[in-house]
Amino acid sequence: MKTPRLSPETLLVIQKFAERPTDWLYGYELSRVTGLKSGTLYPILMRLERYALLEACWVATEVGVPPRHTYRLTPNGLELAQTKLAEARPRAMVRQPAFCIG
Amino acid sequence: MQAAIRIAPADTRDWGRAMAAELTHVEGDWGALMWSLGSAGVLARQALISLIVPGRQGQGVVPDDGLLAKSPTLRNALLTVTGACLLAALFFVASPPFRQAFQVALAPWHALIHHNPQPDFADLARRAGARQDAEGLAFCAIRSRYSWGENVRLADEAVRLDPRLLWVYAVVAMQNPALPETATWVERLKQWDPQNALFYLISARLLKQGRFHEGPPAPEQWQAWQNAMASAFQSAKFDDYLDRVAQITQRVVPRYQLYDPREVDSRTQIDLPHYAFEDSENYARILLADGEKQEAKGDIKTGRERFWSVARFGQLIDSHARTDFERWMGMGLQSAAYERLQASFQKQGDGPQASLFAYLAARFDPGNAPEFPQGSALGMRTAGRNAAVVEMSGLMILIFAGLALAALAIIIAAGRLEGGIVAQRVRPVAIIVGLSSALGILFSTATLYLTYRPYWYIFQSAIQTGDRLPTADLRFFLNDLSAPAGFLPHVLHTLLSALLYSGSPSFLFYVWTGVTLLGIGGLVLIVLRRLRGGPRAHAP
Repeated sequence: MKTPRLSPETLLVIQKFAERPTDWLYGYELSRVTGLKSGTLYPILMRLERYALLEACWVATEVGVPPRHTYRLTPNGLELAQTKLAEARPRAMVRQPAFCIG
Repeated sequence: MQAAIRIAPADTRDWGRAMAAELTHVEGDWGALMWSLGSAGVLARQALISLIVPGRQGQGVVPDDGLLAKSPTLRNALLTVTGACLLAALFFVASPPFRQAFQVALAPWHALIHHNPQPDFADLARRAGARQDAEGLAFCAIRSRYSWGENVRLADEAVRLDPRLLWVYAVVAMQNPALPETATWVERLKQWDPQNALFYLISARLLKQGRFHEGPPAPEQWQAWQNAMASAFQSAKFDDYLDRVAQITQRVVPRYQLYDPREVDSRTQIDLPHYAFEDSENYARILLADGEKQEAKGDIKTGRERFWSVARFGQLIDSHARTDFERWMGMGLQSAAYERLQASFQKQGDGPQASLFAYLAARFDPGNAPEFPQGSALGMRTAGRNAAVVEMSGLMILIFAGLALAALAIIIAAGRLEGGIVAQRVRPVAIIVGLSSALGILFSTATLYLTYRPYWYIFQSAIQTGDRLPTADLRFFLNDLSAPAGFLPHVLHTLLSALLYSGSPSFLFYVWTGVTLLGIGGLVLIVLRRLRGGPRAHAP
């Protein structure tokens, strides 16, 4: 399976998805939890969707308000997220003590 | 955001709507503004990418025209801007200053390719001959540099048609005293204008020419040279006939509608030649040395007479000077003579006279003359920079015109293949190339016009009123247009002169480089698309 280049921001986004793998998340919600602005977040979502790692659907929320786009990881996306996050975790753990000395 | 969604590629519009839908839920006006700005930026970026590389991400099997296909309004707007730029450039072309500027700008490149640095007067001489126009023939005889024999023929013809133009012989002989006709001409001229020092300077050079270089001169040759120079120093007037040259120039230029200022302002070549200064300086040195010798012997009167004869000749040249060089020469001679006179009076204990001559020596010292070069309002450095900018502008107009023509050909060809995938792929890029080329043409045209405009006025002023004061600027400018050997060195020299004038790449650099790269990059992209277009056309 071809995978996109995963920047730290992309890893952050898929981490948030992976924390709630079954939930559909809104764009603004993701922006708030990741701290990424729309100009950074949406290109990431678009790229993940292009690689079939993310699925999106429109949902109607309330009357008079436009339907919203919601997102969650596909099974492929979830698998990739678990792999990448697992790879990233030991590096973080090794690095951590070095900064704590002293 | 709605505008951004409209220009976004089809496969991105849903994302645009998704971003817009979130706006309702964003907290705070500032947050909503930031959200919409960021989202619009994403959509604009996607639109730009689709414009350059439509279908690059493999979402569409059939590539489209990108942004331009979806927005005929935008395409029409781009074509309108392109047309407006070309029309505006045509307005410049309609103005005489621009036409002259373009001719001047391309002359060095033409000379570089044809190894022909001088304007060709053969056609003008033919036309003047056919009209039996003595002044036209004299004009060519003075300026042409291809064949001295032809110059002699033209001068003879001009004088035959109008004997009042005898002075043309002096101007031609002054430039090349080695002509076989010089001796005969000088004798006629001495009878016609007996008090003019110019003929004696030419005679002196004629005596020296090709003889002194072969070894020490024979005593009689040396004496003949000294006699000629003594006559020059004792002459009552000095006239190099540049005023008469200017007068016939005023009449001939409109008569033959000459637009090339190089044909008109060849005064650096018509100025008093360097040999006149060299001979005058040598003879002045002899007189000054003799004056000092006489003073040492106690004959102060004879000594001072020698100094005064040098000073008088310097005054004669200075007071009749038509060029910077003549003025410089006159001042130099005076300064040297006044120094000797100051020393002479100093030795005699005449303090006031010594102070006067010390003042005069300093006053006429060419090194103390800050106003040199005379008549230059813009300065040599500006002239050099302007010459380079004019040259580059002319070249860039040609390059952009070539790019625009290529883009036009592609758009026409794409129009004939209407509906074809290849046509759809290359047309938008060709439109962008056309637009950038049109912008480049307009920018370069305006740059050329504005840079050359002062020189156009100088040219017009010199022709119409005979005012030669500011022609130094035009002369410096034209001198700087001369081409160094080789195309690449010339391009580099010109480019660096144009761009590094103020020590750092100027605005011109960014515009020319940007527009050229855009145009050439677009053409390369068209070729790549053409290569890629075949297989994709057969995709399901």
